[in-house]
Amino acid sequence: MKWVHKILVIASIAFFLNGCVKKEILDDINLIEAIGFDYAGDGNTSGTILYPIYQPDQPPENKTLTAKALIKKSILQDIQLQAANPIVTGSMEAVLFAKELATKEGVLELIDAFQRDPGVGSGLYLAVVDGEARELMDGNYGVRGNATFISNLLENNIENEDLPKTNLQKFLFSYYQEGQTPFMPQLKKISDEKIELNGVCFFKHGKVVETISSDQMFFFRLLVDKYSNGLHRVKIKDGEAAVRSIRSTHNFDLSKRSPLEITVKIKVQGIVNEYTGNEVKPEQIKQLENAFGEEIKKQSQELVDIFKEQKIDPVGFGHFVKTRKRKYDLSKWLESDLKNLTVKVVPDVTITEAGVIE
Amino acid sequence: MKIPFKKKNTEKEALEKVLSKSNDYKNIHFTNEKTKVEFYLTFIASLTDEKIIHKEALPYLLHGELYNLDDVPELITIAETEISTNPKDIELKLFNGYVLVQVVGNEEQLCFFAAQREVGRSIGVPEVEFSVIGPKEAFVESMKQNLNLVRKRIPVKELVIEELTVGKISKTKVAIIYLEEITNQENINTVRQRLQDIDIDGVTDSSFIVQIISDNQNSPFPQLLDTERPDRVTASIIEGKVAIIVDGSPHALIGPTTLVELFSSFEDYFLNWIVSSFFRLIRLFAVTFSILVTPIYVATLSYHYELIPRDLLSALVASRRAIPFPPILEALFLELTIELLREAGARLPTKVGQTIGIVGGIVIGTASVEAGLTSNVLLIIIALAALASFTTPVYRMGNTIRLLRFPFLLFAELWGLVGIVLSFCIMLTHLIRLTSLGRPYLEPLYPPRRQDMKDALIRLSFKNQAKRPVFLRSKHPSRLDERDAKQKQDIDE
Repeated sequence: MKWVHKILVIASIAFFLNGCVKKEILDDINLIEAIGFDYAGDGNTSGTILYPIYQPDQPPENKTLTAKALIKKSILQDIQLQAANPIVTGSMEAVLFAKELATKEGVLELIDAFQRDPGVGSGLYLAVVDGEARELMDGNYGVRGNATFISNLLENNIENEDLPKTNLQKFLFSYYQEGQTPFMPQLKKISDEKIELNGVCFFKHGKVVETISSDQMFFFRLLVDKYSNGLHRVKIKDGEAAVRSIRSTHNFDLSKRSPLEITVKIKVQGIVNEYTGNEVKPEQIKQLENAFGEEIKKQSQELVDIFKEQKIDPVGFGHFVKTRKRKYDLSKWLESDLKNLTVKVVPDVTITEAGVIE
Repeated sequence: MKIPFKKKNTEKEALEKVLSKSNDYKNIHFTNEKTKVEFYLTFIASLTDEKIIHKEALPYLLHGELYNLDDVPELITIAETEISTNPKDIELKLFNGYVLVQVVGNEEQLCFFAAQREVGRSIGVPEVEFSVIGPKEAFVESMKQNLNLVRKRIPVKELVIEELTVGKISKTKVAIIYLEEITNQENINTVRQRLQDIDIDGVTDSSFIVQIISDNQNSPFPQLLDTERPDRVTASIIEGKVAIIVDGSPHALIGPTTLVELFSSFEDYFLNWIVSSFFRLIRLFAVTFSILVTPIYVATLSYHYELIPRDLLSALVASRRAIPFPPILEALFLELTIELLREAGARLPTKVGQTIGIVGGIVIGTASVEAGLTSNVLLIIIALAALASFTTPVYRMGNTIRLLRFPFLLFAELWGLVGIVLSFCIMLTHLIRLTSLGRPYLEPLYPPRRQDMKDALIRLSFKNQAKRPVFLRSKHPSRLDERDAKQKQDIDE
């Protein structure tokens, strides 16, 4: 073939195949940044999408559209009836579920759609809303838009504070993992301009069964995440101190096989951020370390008791046991075996710095 | 003063017939005072220097003891004289600025002496390949001068300067320069044969030669390096390459060359290797950026909105909000504007014109943003891409880069990032197939030659440059005697 022919062939292929690609020009689409689901009664679900309208030199305007549907996957189609531009999911930041919906109906069917959509990243944040998802999305938070605010809020708390790492991928992983159950952070709208992260919800079979408060989140994170940080208040005789964990690791050990016993070694290195007493001397540091250790032990034990009671396993003890015991049968794990498990928490707290005060 | 010639001397007669129409053709009759020998001087006045004829030749021919033509070389004070009986020489010599002496009665014998008029500008500063440090000499139009510039930099007997004539009408002199003991014979033969095979009426510049003897004439990539720097030519010859100098052209050609060489500036060798390696990488980045950034903009905005970072989204959407065109039209509009300005700048007489062109571009750009025709994000992107394309040190390559952007843009519009990848594949295939004087063009990247990486994307220190490039297949692969080099390494002995 002559080169002229080659070019002609390429050009004609290029020309005719052009129509095979779907074009989505950035300013002619509605980018969903967040989507929220509410319980609408009688098995109906109502979905709300949040999309921004960007304006030059101004914070983006938050727009919401809501539709109700019986079949959950058709919510987007129903919302499309109200939208002037095609709705696309590619830049979604967060998916919110109203607690009522998550408790009564479950979230799995809704999450399934996102799991299959190649445009949705696995870093998508999932959260439960204490209240109505639609109401939360209708607020006006921050200069960058509501969805960005929500995702930044979660991201910041994961990076720097005591929310355990969570996103779509983590959620699905713990859901499909035998001997583990998933969890989600819980958000609450305080006012029209404020949202609060107020706990973690635990799921069983896709439905919320238990919620812990944000105070317990720190200890939950110590159990779940290999590395974590966060702030906790410790009381001793001379005063009260805020200890920030700068580095922590946990280590699981199957110390007894029958009956099962897991030893969790939690190592925390922390610094004293605040202290109400006068001076932090070595004795006080020793006291702080001990008190903090005791607190970790007590709170972790409490959490484990909650898990046992609710027959859930967000930490993945079952999965851990399976990795240590050959041919271990997990089919009855949540129902009966978890109850017989003993979890021993061995804290090891080191306070490395207390600040220089003369 | 027309003197009838004998029938025998048909060549001159035929010449006379045509030439007598031109005013600068002179055929003058003289008589020697002492011996009364009559003779003619024939020359083309516009090609000869009258001072030479009047001072160095005529007084001796008129007053000296001139008996026959054999006396002429001894009488006149001009070194370059020649006695011939071949009438075909007449035309050749006359048009090269020689003066023909004929003695009446013995017209078959011809004596020529050189009296060329040297017209041309003096050696100037390189303008296309300017460098802040290093030699400031640039080639001029006169081949004699140019050869002098090269020869005086390589004062060894091995330096060979072969001369050929190209062009049926223009009879342009073309010189092939190489080092006898170093340059691969195959390369020399290729160049010589291709030059000999050129069938063209006129050659006025080395650019003609580049295009004609390129391995693939349908490629937008230049396959011979052209330079106006004698130092670069010298370095290349010493490296084992072949240089071509064309009379009347201030640009010498160097081959075989590679793609990476076209992105290297000769100033790289004047700077420390760390600094120059950094500059080379910057240039490489600039070229990639210049080719790809607009297509990527078009592709992401048309197809892959998921790829845009969250924080950039609002800036992009807000700036595109009021624009009535799809991204491709917007990009084409601005790209073409920049190209127009560049073209206009190049046609303006001074370098100032170019600067004004760029400033004008910014003004037009800002105005088009304000008028809502283009987004300001794209304006920044296009301006940066244009700026980046100026970093290409070889002008010919810079033009190629300018052109390459458009097919990429078209494919980006058709298929998004897949299209960019596709056009990249097409370009890569083309580059891999391309050769320069039969040597791989993409070397040392493909075929991968680790030894040649020392002077490719980065330039290592001179200590590491002891070997000539492998792809040149030089007769002496090593630049220096290795034993000597090793001895010199120990400083504390």
